[in-house]
Amino acid sequence: MVFNSLQFVWFFLIVYGLYRILPHRGQNWLLLVASYYFYAAWDYRFVALLAASTIVDYTCGRVLASMMSQPRRRAVMWISIGFNLTLLGFFKYFNFFAANLQTLFAAIGWHLDFVTLRVLLPIGISFYTFVTMSYVIDVYRRQIQPTRNFVDFAVFVAYFPHLVAGPILRATALLPQISHPRRISREQIRHGLWLIAWGFFQKIFVADNLAPLASHVFAADAHPAGVNVLLGTYAFAFQIYGDFAGYSNIARGTSKLMGIELIENFRFPYLVITPQAFWRNWHISLSTWLRDYLYIPLGGSRGSAWNTRRNLMLTMALGGLWHGAAWTFILWGLYQGLLLVLYRPFEPAFAALGRAGRAAAWVLMFHLTCYGWLIFRASSLRQLGELTQSLFTRFALGSIDVTTLLTPLLMYTTPLLAIHLLEARADDVLVVPRLRIGLRYSIYAATLYLIFLFGNFGGADFIYFQF
Amino acid sequence: MRARRALLFLAIVAIQFVGFEAALRTWGHSEAAPAFQALFVPDPIVGYRLRPNARTRFATAEFDTEIGINAQGVRDDRDIGPKPADERRIVVLGDSLVLSVQVDLRQTFCKLLEARLNRANEARSGRPIHYRVINAGVQGYGPVEEMFFFREIARAFEPDLVIETIFVGNDAEDAVAAAPRLKGSSRSVAESASESLISRVRRIVRHSMVLQVLRLRVVSVTDRFSHWLSPPEPPLQSYAATPAPRIAEGLQISRDCVRGIAQDAEAVSAPTIVMLMPARFQVDDADYGRLKQIVEAAGGTLVRDGATARFDEALAPLGLARFDALPALRAAPPGPDVFFQQTVHLTPRGHEIVADALEQFLRRQGF
Repeated sequence: MVFNSLQFVWFFLIVYGLYRILPHRGQNWLLLVASYYFYAAWDYRFVALLAASTIVDYTCGRVLASMMSQPRRRAVMWISIGFNLTLLGFFKYFNFFAANLQTLFAAIGWHLDFVTLRVLLPIGISFYTFVTMSYVIDVYRRQIQPTRNFVDFAVFVAYFPHLVAGPILRATALLPQISHPRRISREQIRHGLWLIAWGFFQKIFVADNLAPLASHVFAADAHPAGVNVLLGTYAFAFQIYGDFAGYSNIARGTSKLMGIELIENFRFPYLVITPQAFWRNWHISLSTWLRDYLYIPLGGSRGSAWNTRRNLMLTMALGGLWHGAAWTFILWGLYQGLLLVLYRPFEPAFAALGRAGRAAAWVLMFHLTCYGWLIFRASSLRQLGELTQSLFTRFALGSIDVTTLLTPLLMYTTPLLAIHLLEARADDVLVVPRLRIGLRYSIYAATLYLIFLFGNFGGADFIYFQF
Repeated sequence: MRARRALLFLAIVAIQFVGFEAALRTWGHSEAAPAFQALFVPDPIVGYRLRPNARTRFATAEFDTEIGINAQGVRDDRDIGPKPADERRIVVLGDSLVLSVQVDLRQTFCKLLEARLNRANEARSGRPIHYRVINAGVQGYGPVEEMFFFREIARAFEPDLVIETIFVGNDAEDAVAAAPRLKGSSRSVAESASESLISRVRRIVRHSMVLQVLRLRVVSVTDRFSHWLSPPEPPLQSYAATPAPRIAEGLQISRDCVRGIAQDAEAVSAPTIVMLMPARFQVDDADYGRLKQIVEAAGGTLVRDGATARFDEALAPLGLARFDALPALRAAPPGPDVFFQQTVHLTPRGHEIVADALEQFLRRQGF
């Protein structure tokens, strides 16, 4: 059940109608049942995994609370981490590693005859395993008290707005909102409705309309000229942003309507001028997770310069691998790590940039980000090589594809960028509902017109579901 | 306060409506555009037909064409008067695949066939016989409308040969949908004239591009809703391994209509042949792979040439010559696409291939 489906609209209307009339405890039970139904709508067989992850981590949390011995506490934490990483490793990476091992041994003449398992990827597994791991680690670190209430904990893990594509929530932010009675303010409803509309705009108007443009350039048998590779990569950059930010906004909006605040996951990431700022504004819940549970435990920037570089590269490579079992994702992670490493010595210089310098830095950063998306979107390392070669050796402005690439790209990104700039100027992703009434209503109406007149209602899945 | 805000919002919606309407009329060329819709005129017998002497421009990302309808209501740049003694006329009936608004008139397979026949005749015998191939295709027609159109309008063109073009992709479904017309349940002129509130609203909607698009959205949502209430039927039923019963019904209606056309043509001493036109995915492997997945995901099985075989079998008892355009399109050497990517229609190259194959077929058949 995707957000952009009629099935979800009915599901949410029914759940929300009941939610508004139930008392607090009843609301939590409703959220639990609805969340499991929401998850089962994809594949009921994987509900057991979600339940197992919930039970194991709830139990680990309770055990940690009752233990004083540090070595034992550490052992319990590693049991939880081990369990979650095993789930993730088996369901997400088994096929990848088995295939690569086979290729590796074949290269030295050993033909291994693996039992071929067609392991299906349970939707959202990368998200909920990270959620539950962070909970146990936070309890181990004594940053939070484990909850006694199993229903509250199960809702925290399975809460349907964030279950399958994030944001990756922390217990500190979400559990108290689940445990305590909620009051829904008029402002939450207003902001929630705007976030839902804007999320649909980003998904249906921007992402789903740009998807064919990117597919056109990244098709296996396409041999586009460099300038069209660039346009196709721009299209993918806005497609993936619209898709993922759209999902996050719909998740935040529906959650606001229920009186629960989810964290911001995106803050105009394409308007930044440094790689560091990009990761502070892109998929914020993942980048902060990687920072708090991987980069800092590895030593962060506390050691030598080399250690910092190693920690950055390792964190980003694993961040890339988190996105999927493919070499292009790992390469993308390493590329992002490299950008961060290369940027560090220039940090003071970037801070001192004037207006023109900042503009140049923005152009550079946007294109470096786009090249990252080229790595990310390429179907193989071979295609990546071909497209890169085309980009740098066959870049003829004369071969620009105006009709099928440039015009639709401008049409579908201009309204998004206009709102993006408005938000960035106010440094507030919720600036639209706070605008004066005439302008606000104009934006509301235009957003609805653009969705209904030009939106792609094909009901395509969200890209991040596959991660 | 609330009422004032609601009024303000409505005013903004209305102002933007005008803006979007103007923008769509200026830049948004589509079949929903009033300019394109103005090509059609209601007809009490057939339902609708091309408006005599209509002119419009139709442009999308893939093509940009000028469309002209002659005084008789078919796509042509010349009127059709009494047949001169040295003229042989071929009337090609069909739907949008014959009308072909995606290409210029000279690029349609009808005009290409006309040119080939005239050239070949001139080279062979030098006799002063002129061939005229009349494009009598109308967007959205199925076998039922084509039969009525021939009976009411095209028969008067004095054909020497009639080619009934069957689009195997949807003509069985179209025939079922138009079947009530066969029983004479079409609305009378008087009924059409008396306008109800609904028809007034419909007319307003038809004249606004914004409302046309919104109407399509509403239809799509209600369709999905009805699919949600009952399990959705796999798409492309004409190609299904086990199609819905209505496909057999559609094939039978199609056969009856083709028989009707052949009888009417025979009455003016014109033989009839049937041309089977394939869908794009029958030629395009990538398109086939994509649709196969969609049909399988919906629980069906797609038989790639299933509809062609079904129509061939259904029309065989009529004893009419049948020309299948599929082998020629499929055998086309590598080159530009034979179908457009965003529509199911032939590109100029596709029209060339069909015209060549059709000319050879007519020659083989001794027409």
